[in-house]
Amino acid sequence: MGTIRDTEKIYCSIALGFAVIVGTLCFILMLKPIGKGLILGTLFSIINFVLMAETLPMRIGHTRKKGVGISFLLIFLRYALLAIPLALSIKLNQFNMAATVFGLFSVQLVIMTDHISRYIKMRTQKNQLY
Amino acid sequence: MTLDIDTWIQVAAFVGGGLAMGFGAIGAAIGEGFTASEANLAISRTPKISGDIFKNMLVGQAIAESAAIFALVVAMILLFTDFSGQSILMVSVLLAAGLSMGFGAIGSGIGSGFPAGEACVGMSRQPAMSGQLTTNMLIGSAVCQTPSIFALVISFILLFSDFSGLPIAPTWAAILGTGFAVGLAAIGSGLGGGLVAQTSCEGMARQPTSASTVTNIMLLAQAVTQTPAIYGILIAFILLFKGFTPTASLPAAMALLAAGLCMGFGAIGPGIGIGNTGRSAVRWIARNKESTADLTRIMLVGQAVCESTAIYSLVVALVLIFVI
Repeated sequence: MGTIRDTEKIYCSIALGFAVIVGTLCFILMLKPIGKGLILGTLFSIINFVLMAETLPMRIGHTRKKGVGISFLLIFLRYALLAIPLALSIKLNQFNMAATVFGLFSVQLVIMTDHISRYIKMRTQKNQLY
Repeated sequence: MTLDIDTWIQVAAFVGGGLAMGFGAIGAAIGEGFTASEANLAISRTPKISGDIFKNMLVGQAIAESAAIFALVVAMILLFTDFSGQSILMVSVLLAAGLSMGFGAIGSGIGSGFPAGEACVGMSRQPAMSGQLTTNMLIGSAVCQTPSIFALVISFILLFSDFSGLPIAPTWAAILGTGFAVGLAAIGSGLGGGLVAQTSCEGMARQPTSASTVTNIMLLAQAVTQTPAIYGILIAFILLFKGFTPTASLPAAMALLAAGLCMGFGAIGPGIGIGNTGRSAVRWIARNKESTADLTRIMLVGQAVCESTAIYSLVVALVLIFVI
């Protein structure tokens, strides 16, 4: 399971780093609700991704019935968890809702950016070869 | 129990939230389940690279889940925002927002699961291609999310626009039609895009030398697959922003609702059909790179023919809006 841990570490640390840097910039620019929302959303995005990865082995090695039950329970738990920052940002003015929603997708955005940049790099290198 | 406007608005917000998350959860769950089932197959075939397959499955599932997270966002806004003090038109707006996002997330969720699953199988077949397969899968999955993003955009426009100055009839029907048009139209395109991306992962694993050609044709086929969803969003925008003269006539209002239903249902089949055509072309281009030009031409002609029924729906929807 080493590769999964490594994947978690890489993507989560980049997402968190990005959120902290942009969040700090927002604090400096007196855009506190945006910064707070972004950091809150990113934190829950990371928790969701880590939970997703760490609970993978729990779903394997059971009977089909038990496996399905565990998967449903875990999905329910993760979605309930993702609902927390959304509810907070809607109810409390100190968190900007749009920034929180953006933060919730930060891990996915990091994954996409990483792979697309690699793809572009690979294509550029190939073009230079020919 | 008093049934004043605020009560009805609250009822609509709760029902809309339920529709958004209830329907929205269907696609992602099926897609993620497909990915996991294919990962099982892949691991049993090549247990030595189980770590890589697990990693690919995790990344693929994370992307496939995006559509359901969009639905969750809309559902939470509907459940926790205070909409009281607005006109009765808000009932229609909140229901439409839920319908749009709920239906809109189904196709993308299922579709994104297809390339993720096939990439796992491909890795077991061709471990050396793991990195490229993951990248191709992610690009394909990202395009599959486009229809659900259309649905999210329309839901947000509905939730954050001010409709207070508009006449209740027939605007209520136009707004409901908006939800159906964009939500239902997204189902076919999301699924179709997934079918194309799935086969591109398969082709890449079978014929690594065709990898870049396969990715290019996948993107072309997926772009055409998105057109029925674009028709859906076009009708949605017309229904939202045309501005209708006040009328008490029920048939006039129902014509607008029917326009949305016509475009929404009418786009499901073409989206899947176009995806199937693209899937077949990508599969055979991977195996016979020399015939790329011919196969691409046949694919585009086939897709254009599949698209014709979506165009009929578009025409009928436009007639319902502008003529009747």
